[in-house]
Amino acid sequence: MSQASIQERVAAEEGELLARLRAGDERAFEALVERHYSTMLAVAQHYVKTRAVAEEVVQEAWLGVLKGLDRFEGRSSLKTWILRILVNTAKTRGVRESRSVPFASLGPESDEPAVEPERFRGRDDPFPGHWRAYPADWQRLPEDALADRETLKVVLGTIELLPDAQRAVITMRDIQGCEPEEVCAALDVSDGNQRVLLHRARSKVRAALERHLDG
Amino acid sequence: MAEHVSCQEVVELVTDYLDRALSGEQASLFEQHVNFCDGCDFYLEQMRSTIASVGRITERDVPLETRDKLLAAFRDWRRS
Amino acid sequence: MIAYKFLRSDGTGAFTRFAWPLPNGGPGAWVDAPADPCRSGIHACRLADLPYWAGRVLYEIELAGDIVALGTKVVAPRGRLVRRVAAWDDAFRATYTRHCADRAHELARESGLERWEEVIEPSIPEGPALLGFVAARIAEQAGGVEAYYAERSRQAEWLAAQLGLV
Repeated sequence: MSQASIQERVAAEEGELLARLRAGDERAFEALVERHYSTMLAVAQHYVKTRAVAEEVVQEAWLGVLKGLDRFEGRSSLKTWILRILVNTAKTRGVRESRSVPFASLGPESDEPAVEPERFRGRDDPFPGHWRAYPADWQRLPEDALADRETLKVVLGTIELLPDAQRAVITMRDIQGCEPEEVCAALDVSDGNQRVLLHRARSKVRAALERHLDG
Repeated sequence: MAEHVSCQEVVELVTDYLDRALSGEQASLFEQHVNFCDGCDFYLEQMRSTIASVGRITERDVPLETRDKLLAAFRDWRRS
Repeated sequence: MIAYKFLRSDGTGAFTRFAWPLPNGGPGAWVDAPADPCRSGIHACRLADLPYWAGRVLYEIELAGDIVALGTKVVAPRGRLVRRVAAWDDAFRATYTRHCADRAHELARESGLERWEEVIEPSIPEGPALLGFVAARIAEQAGGVEAYYAERSRQAEWLAAQLGLV
């Protein structure tokens, strides 16, 4: 399916949803809240100190969404608009609580390599930078090894422990399926930064899965 | 321009590659390497499986209290 | 333009996993790739590029449209597989791997780079792409970047001759 027709379909779905919301359809509203809750929470936690405050921010944002719903013109997508309200609410709250947005965590890769350097041959080796021992071939694993409950628990557990910015990005990109541009707008970061954060988050999850699966 | 990339470099380029953010040249070097190196072929596959696993996480449930509050707000809004 | 393309043993692209229409009595169906050759498009090898992309199965591919040369490959908006290069089979791959390994040993000994000896034989099971790289890499360590490309050219010439490709 081409990019353009995906966008058309999304726009049509949103148009329908808006109509239902304005007609007072509670189920439509509930579904909308459910769909965006995780992402909004992850993004809010990036701006404020505690989970409890983040949950308040999300609620406040939804009130803001309701207030503005009649005036929403559809120039951006509904999702982008909702996230923007969320970010503004979170930022305001964050400022009030004087929490600075920590992007000091964007140092060079040497701070946080995707794989420990010891796993590669060293500089004096004939084949520097090559794997000492190859990673496992996960295609040989039983089909549901990567989908069973234990595995998902490991994934979820790892994500919960990520630094806020990394957790926000991986939640938006890989759980919610947001586009890079949406992440940049929501978290106020450049495309490059968004990708660095995603890289670090994914690398940690892969490493955790490797420990779990390979024992 | 580099003639080739090492495995250690490949594992740092994986995210850019999957996002199609590498330059044509870099992507070509990346693919040449994965073509000859089983280790990195497995690593790329591991990364794809990791992303798929993360994608299986369902949205966190909205706390009941929050759901109730928001529904109430929705009803108020609907009435106004 | 006639070029070459390596596919996986199941006829899918090495990176895209696209299932190519295979030749069957005649050429396979034409495949159109979306525009924007740098990001997508049909990738293929000229003879000189074969060593860089050595894979499981080799096909001759006919390309059409505006063809762009990008380093070690060509990219076109349209292509169809013409025939399988039957000479490229598992036995040939083993022969070529052996050939590259022997070259690697020769280059290593010539240049006092014996430390590569511990890498060459153990790499054999991984096949021709790896050994081709190892040989070229040793050449590079001994003689610089030009030596890397010279070794790759040697490999391409050897392949073209052995496979009977013009």
